[in-house]
Amino acid sequence: MPSPPELNFDQGTLLLSGVSQRFIERVFDDGVWVFDGRVGKFRCDALHYAAVQAALNTHLTSRWVDSVPAWKRLDHLAALAVAAEQVRDINTSPNNLEMKPSESSEVCARNQSERPVKRAEVQLRIDQLRAVDAWLATRRGCLVMPTGTGKTEVALKLITSVASSTLIVAPVRDLMYQWHRRILLRTGIDAGILGDGVYRVSPLTVTTYDSAFLHMARLGNQFALIVFDECHHLPGPSRQDAARMCAAPYRLGLTATPYRSDGRQGLLEELIGPICYQQKLDEARGDTLANYDLHRIPVYLSDAERQRYDELSRTIQQYMFQRRQDDASFTWQKLCQESGRDPASRRALKAFHAKSAIEDRAEEKLRVLEDLFRLHVGEPCLIFTGTNAMARDISRRFLIPCLLSHCGKRERLDILSGLEEGRYPAVVANRVLDEGVDLPDVKVAIVIGGSSSPRQATQRLGRILRRSRFGRGVLYEVVTRQTKDVARSRQRRASMDS
Amino acid sequence: MLTRQEALVDYDEASGRAIPDRLTREKHRSYLGYAQRFLDIYSAGIGRTRRELHRSVESALAANDDCPLRRIAAFKKLLDEKSKYAADAGRKAAKLRQQVFLSAATSHPLVSRVEGVFCNLEQDVKQRIAAELNLTWEQIDARLFSDVIEFQRLEGFEGYASPEALLARYNVAQTQAALYGAEQLMVWSQQDYKAILRYAKLARLMHSIRREGDGSYCFRFDGPASVLRRSTRYGVAMARFLPGLLSCGQWRATAKIVNRWGKRYRLELSCDDGLKSTAAEIAEFDSDVEAEFAAAWKIADCGGWKLERESEILHAGQSVFTPDFTLVNDSGQRVLLEIIGYWTPEYLKYKTQQLEKFQQYDILLAVLEQTHFEVPSHCGKPIVFKRQLKPADVLTRLENRAE
Repeated sequence: MPSPPELNFDQGTLLLSGVSQRFIERVFDDGVWVFDGRVGKFRCDALHYAAVQAALNTHLTSRWVDSVPAWKRLDHLAALAVAAEQVRDINTSPNNLEMKPSESSEVCARNQSERPVKRAEVQLRIDQLRAVDAWLATRRGCLVMPTGTGKTEVALKLITSVASSTLIVAPVRDLMYQWHRRILLRTGIDAGILGDGVYRVSPLTVTTYDSAFLHMARLGNQFALIVFDECHHLPGPSRQDAARMCAAPYRLGLTATPYRSDGRQGLLEELIGPICYQQKLDEARGDTLANYDLHRIPVYLSDAERQRYDELSRTIQQYMFQRRQDDASFTWQKLCQESGRDPASRRALKAFHAKSAIEDRAEEKLRVLEDLFRLHVGEPCLIFTGTNAMARDISRRFLIPCLLSHCGKRERLDILSGLEEGRYPAVVANRVLDEGVDLPDVKVAIVIGGSSSPRQATQRLGRILRRSRFGRGVLYEVVTRQTKDVARSRQRRASMDS
Repeated sequence: MLTRQEALVDYDEASGRAIPDRLTREKHRSYLGYAQRFLDIYSAGIGRTRRELHRSVESALAANDDCPLRRIAAFKKLLDEKSKYAADAGRKAAKLRQQVFLSAATSHPLVSRVEGVFCNLEQDVKQRIAAELNLTWEQIDARLFSDVIEFQRLEGFEGYASPEALLARYNVAQTQAALYGAEQLMVWSQQDYKAILRYAKLARLMHSIRREGDGSYCFRFDGPASVLRRSTRYGVAMARFLPGLLSCGQWRATAKIVNRWGKRYRLELSCDDGLKSTAAEIAEFDSDVEAEFAAAWKIADCGGWKLERESEILHAGQSVFTPDFTLVNDSGQRVLLEIIGYWTPEYLKYKTQQLEKFQQYDILLAVLEQTHFEVPSHCGKPIVFKRQLKPADVLTRLENRAE
């Protein structure tokens, strides 16, 4: 007797045996399954698991063996969800969904007074509950919610509702640790960690996109739900591969900005699911986010810096001029290509980097910072820099903690909680804090240098917009005058105004 | 292995070939001298920071008119691979930072001139903290960020045997890095089949096996998802496989490479490229019994039968079985011979299962006396031997079979 059809997980793909080519053609769309002669079975991406499982249940009359799921039901999470559900029933009887604006803002005000959220039971706002319901309808898709509107709370609610093994994928290590902390606060579970040199997998695990890619071939069938935090990062080639290798039937994407300049956002729909809830920044701003003031402060290079800067500029100009005399089409790009063969173009390239470093680390910026510290003494302050070197310069000048990628988990926690609890008056960070890392309330944010991508600007600003117990926030941009720093600042504002 | 950022590959449009950076004696004579200087910099660099060492390497090459930045980066990586840098044991730097910043917090902001209520001069606060910690400020400043990767100090350098060894490692590393973009690797081989397949399996690659007309083999290596779409997902596995392949003889290979801009190229390799393997060699014979049998066969009168070592690959799906020997006579008759020697009970069990899986093949078994080996029912009566398998016993059996 032939053995019954069987579905297996194999290194990020599914293998199906015991069915005929005709069955495959009849039941599935073209191109899902491919016959793999190397193993004598049909193969497809693990991504298709939910659809395949449903189709086999419908079309196979006899018994078939599903050896894919290695995930578990998590009853302690289900218990938490039920407890939260009862709270919710009180707050959101159907009538309440039709709240008048004044009432809805009352709900917000109540939540505001409860921040910071540090209890197991959390009451979600109306907009958050709408997001929850939208996703639970299909258990597949993306929620688009601006930074500061409580995406994490929504996701935690969904995780407890699904109550099965869950993998949470975050863009950077800080966010991974932040998820770990939030899960611990909310559920009391010490979640597994995969990444940053730690390999501790448990039914509820947090990881980074890069680690997910490395381990998905082995772990792709261990989780029923996969959560992609800041999921606009997903469409990169190797990251989308990680999403394909995962068999999780339930998929949740979270993002503030589903926009990617390479226009591949359509892939998010294939890999996670359609956008099932979208909240605009303007809606959120008046409602749950504070307004903010923006000041731009120009700084000038010192005489010594200016002299050095001009010298470097001359080095580059002279070299370009000489080269263009021989070859009118000589470009900066060509110079970069040639830097391997030509010590002179390597010197020009070095001069260019030295110029950027002067702009980035202009001494005047430290003096401006000193004035801003005086102006806002007693108010918690956060400084963003474009480079590690500048962050360390500021840390060493003012003796304030600096949050860089080399900081261990314990030090990060100490710095963030220290700012929140007032042990530290200010913290300086580089890009490590991008992408919605949960920050304590701050009143003052200062951007020094930094790159000019619109997404980065919105998200960094989102943290300043965050409801703050200190009221209206202030954002300063410190830019070097008459250098390309100014152009970047303009771009940053353009993306914010639109 | 190098990172993608250190990979240096030339994509030749005319020939469609991907050519990894390769330093040769003819074209890059000066690099022997540079390699020696790099080794000297690191050998004499104990106590220096990673950044200082890297800058020394850069300036050693400053006047070189043939040195792409990625090549410099690759050398720094290969030198660091053999280096031990001081780890921040007990999080000393982080603890020092905490002490300093907490102490300074009460004096925030540290100002450059006293004005009204702002009277905490930067240098005064730093002196106060230094006194509290019983150090000078210079000492504190030097230790404050000593755990940052570029400020870590060199503790030991294992080095390379010679400048030539460093250059040889560089060449292999660049070829490996070129393979990161590989979708598929084809290997045509005339010997060491078993070793090639074993190295591929260690690297978690999947194989497809085809026998060529002349009896040699062609292997195609890729991974599970390769049947679904062209994917460079397994390129790193192919790079991991390369040192093993380099330790084998009589092969050539072609990889399909996709570069950063999505264009496809061919990377061609062969055992005559002069790339030196760094892989641990797999022992030629599994046991002394096989080695002694092969040696005895050479001097015995074998009546026209020739002995080939692991020259036949039996395969079903991803399972592979390579019998120890193939006996070939003048009329082209081929007999497979598998020797079962001093093995663990688990391995004996595995061998029984393997023989059952490949039962459509007629395999002659030679089993060591008193081995607890369960001969599969489809196999004929095995040759039983004491300590050493004698060619005469095998020949007798071959003659009986012929009849």
